[in-house]
Amino acid sequence: MWAQVINALLGIWLTASPAILGIEDKTISNNAHIVGPVVASLAVIAWWEATRVVRLYNIPLGLWLLLAPWVLGYDQTSVIINDMVIGAAIVGLSFVEGKIEGTYGGGWSAIWKKDSLHTTEARRTPRV
Amino acid sequence: MSNTTDDAIPPGWSYNPATLTQRLPIVAMAIVGFTIAMYLGLFQLKVISTVWEPFFGNGSQKILTSPTSQLLPVPDAILGAFGYFMDAVAGIIGSTRRWRTMPWIVVLFGVFVGPLGMISVLLVILQPVLYDAWCTLCLVTAAISVIMIGPAMDEMLASLQYMKRAKDANVSLWKVFWGYKEVQGKVI
Repeated sequence: MWAQVINALLGIWLTASPAILGIEDKTISNNAHIVGPVVASLAVIAWWEATRVVRLYNIPLGLWLLLAPWVLGYDQTSVIINDMVIGAAIVGLSFVEGKIEGTYGGGWSAIWKKDSLHTTEARRTPRV
Repeated sequence: MSNTTDDAIPPGWSYNPATLTQRLPIVAMAIVGFTIAMYLGLFQLKVISTVWEPFFGNGSQKILTSPTSQLLPVPDAILGAFGYFMDAVAGIIGSTRRWRTMPWIVVLFGVFVGPLGMISVLLVILQPVLYDAWCTLCLVTAAISVIMIGPAMDEMLASLQYMKRAKDANVSLWKVFWGYKEVQGKVI
């Protein structure tokens, strides 16, 4: 979970960074203002074990932050470094699943997959 | 059907996601969200003339009177308050077995908490992008909405898995979804 706590903080930092770093360019600040809240929200949703899988959606967003300075043409070195360091950290931390202590009947894919944990467990349970 | 608490735990789960200990914190957050949203909505309806804004100057004023906030006939904070109210109602209704006795309320709960949380994130994005302003209490309500999503989803997962088992057993999904008495107990 700690990895997703850090990712949430990185998302909040990214959202605040245009104000903190004094970014004037509207394209660059828009990018931070859009990606930041989404990263933070997905990370917060992934705090809970049943929805931990949501962390994976932050991987493409982190990769986008690595590309954005070159695609959008950033001209401030501090902003390029800020974006790329945050992007790399988000990608890395999104891969960290952390401890899963509970069982969840096989998770979300068990809604469509055959013979997942909840179906086999239900079969073993005697009818009352 | 036995009355032990064990049969309230979904098969293959280590706990019951529909206990009150699981649900009441979400309901409490929804009530806090409702209160803040109502306050913002009353400002938008001009019932109160000022709005509390400790950090961003006239940011709250700018956001709460923006064209986006008036896109619909009802101010957006009033709609938000209605959303939180529905979150709380859908969170409180039903027993600790509701994931299988009334899947409809669990799914409704998930729909109110999930997509509505996403809308509040969208509104957060629009604040700086369209209006170059921030609204403190709007950010607080968005944070509440996002925090509610994760804990509400486990219960929905249990309901959807239950409906999958019902489908595999050729029990009418319609009847299972609405919790018809005649299909209760046909699937564990």
